[in-house]
Amino acid sequence: MQRVEGGRSDITPEESWRTIHATLAQAQSSLYLAGTAYILLLWGAIVSIYFFALFAIGQLAPGFEASYPWYRGPLWGIIGTPGMIGSALIGRRELSRYADYATARAAGLRVFAFWMAVVAAAFLVSGTAGLWSAEGAEKIPHVTIGIISLGYVLFGIMHLPALALVGVGMAAAFYLPAYFAGDFSALGTGAGMLAVTVLGAAWIHRSGQP
Amino acid sequence: MSTGDIFLDETIHQPTRLRVMTMLVSQPDGGRLAYGFIQQTLGLTGGNLTTHLRKLGDAGFLSIAKEFVDSKPRTWVEATPAGRIAFTEYLSNLERALHWQPPV
Repeated sequence: MQRVEGGRSDITPEESWRTIHATLAQAQSSLYLAGTAYILLLWGAIVSIYFFALFAIGQLAPGFEASYPWYRGPLWGIIGTPGMIGSALIGRRELSRYADYATARAAGLRVFAFWMAVVAAAFLVSGTAGLWSAEGAEKIPHVTIGIISLGYVLFGIMHLPALALVGVGMAAAFYLPAYFAGDFSALGTGAGMLAVTVLGAAWIHRSGQP
Repeated sequence: MSTGDIFLDETIHQPTRLRVMTMLVSQPDGGRLAYGFIQQTLGLTGGNLTTHLRKLGDAGFLSIAKEFVDSKPRTWVEATPAGRIAFTEYLSNLERALHWQPPV
């Protein structure tokens, strides 16, 4: 350790260097995570509504899926679109509370690009796996949820470990009922997704994340 | 005890003020951050942050502006040109201090 003139001895140059790097990463992550708890709650509600709707259709109109095997795509489009618009609005509102337009815009675009890459990967992987057909349509959520969960895990590893656990929880909320709950899998997944996202949002909120 | 001519500005060379200046200087020129965002990101109390901001402000390294957005008060903090120069000098001296070797 060395000491230098002018500075207090409670921080060494090495500590200063580490502090600068840690602060840069922390500030960047805080911007990328703006509004995460609210966005997570929004998606929890949307995904749950989607799976509850699947369950309701399966119970109330058993022949519907056989007649319209592709109905899940349009259903998700109708339910998911408000989620995308809502996420953008929440992110924009929260970022504008934290930083100037240029900084907020740069952070917002990066987060948007990350999630668009995840969605594109889910689309391309399920397409190249030959699932965009009447026979494969049922398996599309198996691929999509896996990739979206991976997105949460990766984003969490980079910026907030709690989000990585949310990703694992989302995967569990889908795959466990899908393999073990039979006709009630959509109901189990809807409830599981809601529980995971509400717990995750509460955890993020309590952690003091801006 | 001296290590020669390496000087680290003591206004910046303090853990909290160093973190505040790092956040502000990492913004583009003229970029500013909300007081609440700095406070939450660094996990500081309001009193603690205000004390350090005052010290940095007295040195001319940052400026504070208050605005009303949707009828709610919002405080913005921005590094001044003098603050950016001081931080660049601090970094330069810090790099020298990191490479400094005691004379044999």
